[in-house]
Formats: sequence, structure tokens, C-alpha cells
Amino acid sequence: MKSSPRIALLFLVPSFFFVGLFSIFPIFESFRLSLYRLILTLPWLGEKMVGLENYTDLLSDPVARDSIRTTLIFIAVTIPLELLFGLGIALVLDQVFRGRGLLRAVVLIPWAIPTVVSSQMWRFIFNDRYGLINFLLFGADTSSYIAPLADPNLAMISIMAAEIWKTTPFAALIILAGLQGITDDLYEAAGIDGATPWQTFCRITLPLLKPALLLAVLFRTIDALRVFDLVYVMTQGGPADATNVLQFYGYKKTFPEGMVGYGSAIAVMVFLMSLVLSLAYLRAFKTSRLYGRNP
Amino acid sequence: MSNPNLIIEYRCHSEEQRDKESVFALFSGNFELPKHSRALKRMLVWLGGLLFVCAMPCLAKAAELRFVTWKSEAPEVWNQAIGDFERQNPGVKVVSEIGPQSSTQLHDLLTQKLRNRDTRLDVFVMDVIWPAEFASAGWALPLDSYFTPAEREKFLQAPVAAGQYRGQIFGVPLFIDAGLLYYRKDLLEKYNLPPPRTWPELVKTGKTILAGERDPNLVGFSGQFKQYEGLVCNMMEYILSNGGALWDEKRMVSALAEPPAQAAVRFVRDRIIGEISHRGVLAYEEPESLALFTQGQAIFHRNWPYAWSVASDAAKSKIAGKVGMTPLPGFSVGRGVATLGGWQLGISRFSQKPDLAWRFATFMSGPEIQKRIALATGRAPTRLALYDDPEIAKKIPQLKSLLKTFNQAVPRPRTPVYAPLSNIMQRYFSSVLALPNTGVNERAALAARDMNRVLDLLRERQTP
Repeated sequence: MKSSPRIALLFLVPSFFFVGLFSIFPIFESFRLSLYRLILTLPWLGEKMVGLENYTDLLSDPVARDSIRTTLIFIAVTIPLELLFGLGIALVLDQVFRGRGLLRAVVLIPWAIPTVVSSQMWRFIFNDRYGLINFLLFGADTSSYIAPLADPNLAMISIMAAEIWKTTPFAALIILAGLQGITDDLYEAAGIDGATPWQTFCRITLPLLKPALLLAVLFRTIDALRVFDLVYVMTQGGPADATNVLQFYGYKKTFPEGMVGYGSAIAVMVFLMSLVLSLAYLRAFKTSRLYGRNP
Repeated sequence: MSNPNLIIEYRCHSEEQRDKESVFALFSGNFELPKHSRALKRMLVWLGGLLFVCAMPCLAKAAELRFVTWKSEAPEVWNQAIGDFERQNPGVKVVSEIGPQSSTQLHDLLTQKLRNRDTRLDVFVMDVIWPAEFASAGWALPLDSYFTPAEREKFLQAPVAAGQYRGQIFGVPLFIDAGLLYYRKDLLEKYNLPPPRTWPELVKTGKTILAGERDPNLVGFSGQFKQYEGLVCNMMEYILSNGGALWDEKRMVSALAEPPAQAAVRFVRDRIIGEISHRGVLAYEEPESLALFTQGQAIFHRNWPYAWSVASDAAKSKIAGKVGMTPLPGFSVGRGVATLGGWQLGISRFSQKPDLAWRFATFMSGPEIQKRIALATGRAPTRLALYDDPEIAKKIPQLKSLLKTFNQAVPRPRTPVYAPLSNIMQRYFSSVLALPNTGVNERAALAARDMNRVLDLLRERQTP
């Protein structure tokens, strides 16, 4: 039976409508707003078209520059560790053992807990007086207790630790799916050829996992670029702006300060950064797929 | 025309058109019952019924008042007060929406609603730092015709002034906050030391007691030094009591880089945090700093009036009965400065029931409710008469002696751009305190420059 293009279009309309309304329109609206100077609390200044002024301000704003740097460091530290731990967990969960199903479910818990809740939990863990970290490090010796969230470097490390704990299960899940796509004959063949487990891992598992790993990196990067809730709950960007990631800075400008134009410029900046990174990864992803097909 | 789909489509189309025509006839009054009148009649009945059902909630909502607030420390008192209001005003239903406790987060929620001109918001609680912003943005209703000068006389002057912006008033004071010094009466008596009247004296007293107690868990001072709004409140008290200022209100320029302001910031970094407190305070808001004090682990503590009832409540505090409360020290005797805080009730400009909203606001800020809240939570009332109330005096004995402190409490800059100014100040204070090797001078100059850039926006009004 021939399919009618008109009917097909009709069925597509709802999806176009929703994508347009909830994703394309906001992006364009943010972009439009970012070209204006719009300050909610000073309505008499009106909506003044300023061209790219918000963007030039952004590039010369030392707070924004620090914020971009903080965000990139955050990505560069958390993602490799998440992948490493995720790979370890996935390799374990790929083995056959009793209670594997249960363990697979349990591993996902950190990822399933709403971030606001787990951030609050981590805030308690890092508390300077009754936090678990201090107890584990120093026991009853309260005089050497440290205050991780009060120190600029340690606060950043604390946020990273919480992020790694929270999203490693997600990386593990994707990698596990990749592992299960590798057929057993390859391992059997390697065994017959007398390959050591390490050789098998390096020559078979890792190359065939590349697409899954790249996918995990892609998702995690886009997500980490937009990190917000951990910072919002745990540090509010402090101390000394040490955890003032880009998305949090954008929020502070747009909502508490009402600087909608400038805040939108930051939002567009985050969007562009994730777009560029995604495209770069997708390119790498494509070549690796080809490579996978013709080994 | 061999495609059956098209035929069906065509039929549907023509039927639809016929329906449209009859509906048109219905609305234009050219309405004679056609042949299929029964179907139409049924449709009419359904339509009427539907309209009625849709309108019903609106009818019922005629006297519904939307109130956005935080969760009170004594929700039962709060709910009881709302219940009383509903009883006194039959047919009125107050729907409370409980927002976040944090001022900054509640601000997000409220400005979201106000920016969208949400008519489902009538009355809201308002931090004393918001009226200028809400007035300038056109979100808060001026209350001058309701809140008469005679009525204002019955309140403390500082919070009434905080509700004003450019000659109009936008808030009714609900309770007043001012920074106070709490101290361990028992420890000071043990070492035979008086409550300190200057900051250097406080450091000295703290060091003496710390040296004598040799308790590794004890710190000399606990305050709020996290990078958030409370940091500005705390730092302002040191700066102003040293003769400095956050900004010059007349010239509308920052005063952070002036020598007295810088000296006060250095004092906090080197002496308060450096000598008698611990670095943990750099992550403290009110609850954490108060917990340290009520656990008996701090000699001195800076907080708002409510901390008194928490610290004196044996169920919540290990030091109940051992607590003293006094005005904050200054850099010279008698020159202490308290930051003005507290909450007001505001009415949305988009409210469709401003009269009813006002009745609710006066009721909730009335003497009876303020008294109940003061007794239950220790929040300091804004009505002068309550400072002579025997029941309150019994519960909070020092309250009357603090009246002067409350009246002289200094508001934070009253300007619609307070939020950006505050973020700049928070960044500056937090950087200087958390990074001990930073140059105060350079950071202060940077912060002052940023503040002036924001303040310049206000000047554009004169030269449109």
C-alpha cells in the first residue's frame, strides 16, 4: 500500500510543534534576548538593542572568564574519572554471578536519586563538625577536622566528588550495554589463540567499546557543562567564587539580578559550547563506527 | 477521485461546514430551528452545562486570596492566624503557597510570578531588601492610601522606612530583625569578664577564655560568612561600626575601597576568623552557625533575634539558661551597628482584590498575631506597643532594652539594583576572607569599580 505524504505530514505535525515550542523557540528567544539590554528591575530603561555588547562584556568580564575556566576544569576532571569507574563497574556487572540483577539495580541508585536530595546529603557529608568525611579521616580527633566547603579548592573537589558519585552509574550503564554487544566468539577465539586477559581487554574489549565510551563522553560532557543543582545546594558558587560554574553564574544574572540580556548571553554561550563539543564528538563517533565495521 | 480516503475527507468537510453555519446562526440571532433541531438543542444544553462548569470555580474563587510565604518556625500559629482571618471574613478562603525558606530562593519564586503578572498572587512576604526593586519593577502595589501615616506611627520607624521607595510605601512590617551578639554568660562569668563593647575587646575576651578552657571543640566566634546574602549583613556591621560604608547614598558610588571599610574587612579576616574563629564559618549560614553555638562550641555568636528562643530552649540547645544577648560591639564603645533585616507583607500590583489583600495584610501584621508569633518563635515584633507587653517581656526579657538597637538598625542599600550590588559585595568579601593571601586593596578597588558600573545604570534615568 502506498503511503500518502499528506497523512505522513499530518502525523509529523505534533512532533514538529512540540520540538519547535519547547526547544527551537527557547533557543532563538534566548539568542534574541542576548542582543538586548533588558533589566527587569529597571523597566524604564526599556529593551534596548545593543548588538553583541553582551558578548563583548562577557568576554571581558573576569568573573565570567573564571567561571568558564571553573566549568572546563570541572568537565576535565569529572568525566575521565566517571568513565574509569564506570568501566570498572560495568566489567564487574558483565560477569555472571549470583545476585547480578539485584546489584545492577542497586548500582543505579545514586543516579536515580534527585540531585537536589543527594546534594543536600553531600553537604552534610562534607560538614566541618559532624560530617562523615571528617569522621572517616580523623575519627574522634575533632581538633583536626577540616571544613571542605569553606576552602576554595576543597569546595571544588567536594562538588566534583558528588558529581562523580552521582553520574558514574550512568556511564556504567552505557558501557555495560556496549559490553553486552560484544559477541562471546571473539573471546573464545582469543582464548584459543592463547591471549592473556589483559591482551583480550586491550585488543578486543576496549576497541569494540569505543562507540559506547564515546556516547558516554558525549552525554556526560553536555550534562556536566550544565551542572547547576549541586552548586546551588552545596555552595551557592562560593567560597570566593571557586564553584561559580557558568550555568550558576547565568542563573544568578538572570533570576536574582534580573539582568535578562546578559544572562541570556551566558545561556547562549553554554549552548554554543555544548554544540561545538557535541559536533566534535559526533565526528569522532562516526569514524569510530566505520572503524568498528571494518576491523 | 478513485481514492476512498478523499471522499471521506470531502464528506467530513461538508458536514463540518454545515455545523459551522448553524453555530453562526445561533450566535447571530438568526436562529430558526432547523430540521435536526433535537441535536442542536442537545448541543445547546451541553454547551450551557459546560459553560456553567467552567464558570463554577471562578464563582467559588471570588473570595479566594493567594498568599505566598515561607514555612514559619511555628506553622501552627501561622495557620491558626489564617484560620482566624477566614472566620472573621466569611466566604474568604486564604490559599497559602509555601515557598522556600531562603530569601534568595523565595525571591526567585516571587519574581517569576510577578514578572508573568500572575493574578493568582495577592499577598506575599517580602524581605526588607526587596521593596525598592519590587516598586521599581512595578510589581508591588503602593499602599499609601491604605497604610496611613497615623497607622505607621504605631510601628518601629526603621522597618517602615525600609518599606518605602521614592516617597511611596510598599510593605507592612511583619517582624524586625537586627544583628545581635549572643554570648556564653557562664563562661564570661567564670573568667570574670564583662560582655565586650568593642570588637577588639571581643577578640581579647575570646582568646582569654579559649586559652583557659583548652577545649579543642570550642571556638571564640561563630557568624555567617558563606558567600550569600548573610555575608553582606555580617560584614556591613563591621564596616559601618568602623565609620565606613558600603556605598555613598547621595553620590551613588561605592565606598568599599575607602580606608575604614578596608580596615574593617582586614580585621574580620585577621582577627575574628584568624584568631578566635575557625575557617568553617566560611561555609556557614544562620542554621549552621547557630547550631555551633547551641551545641556549646562557641563563646560568641552573631545572629538575629529569633536565635534567643532557640538557644534558650532546653529541647534544642545544650546551653539553655547560659546565654546572654546584647547589642553588637563597635570599634569604639557605643558605636556598634546592627544590620536591619526582617520581613514585610506586600501586595501584588496584579492582584484583583487589593482591598481584601490589604485587610489580610493588616490582620497578619496586627498586634494580636505579632504577639502570638513573638511568643512562639522569638521573632521581634514591629509594633511599638508590644514592647510593653508583659507576656512578651516575660518570654524575652531583654527585648525592651533592644528597642534602641532595633530603631537604629541600618538598612542595606535601598535601590532596585540591590541584587547585583550584593552579588559583587559577596564575591569581594568571600574572596578576601577565603583566600588569605589576596590583596584587600586590589580586590576592594575591583569590587568598587563593578558596583559603580551597576550604579551608573540608575543615572541613565536623568538622561533618557
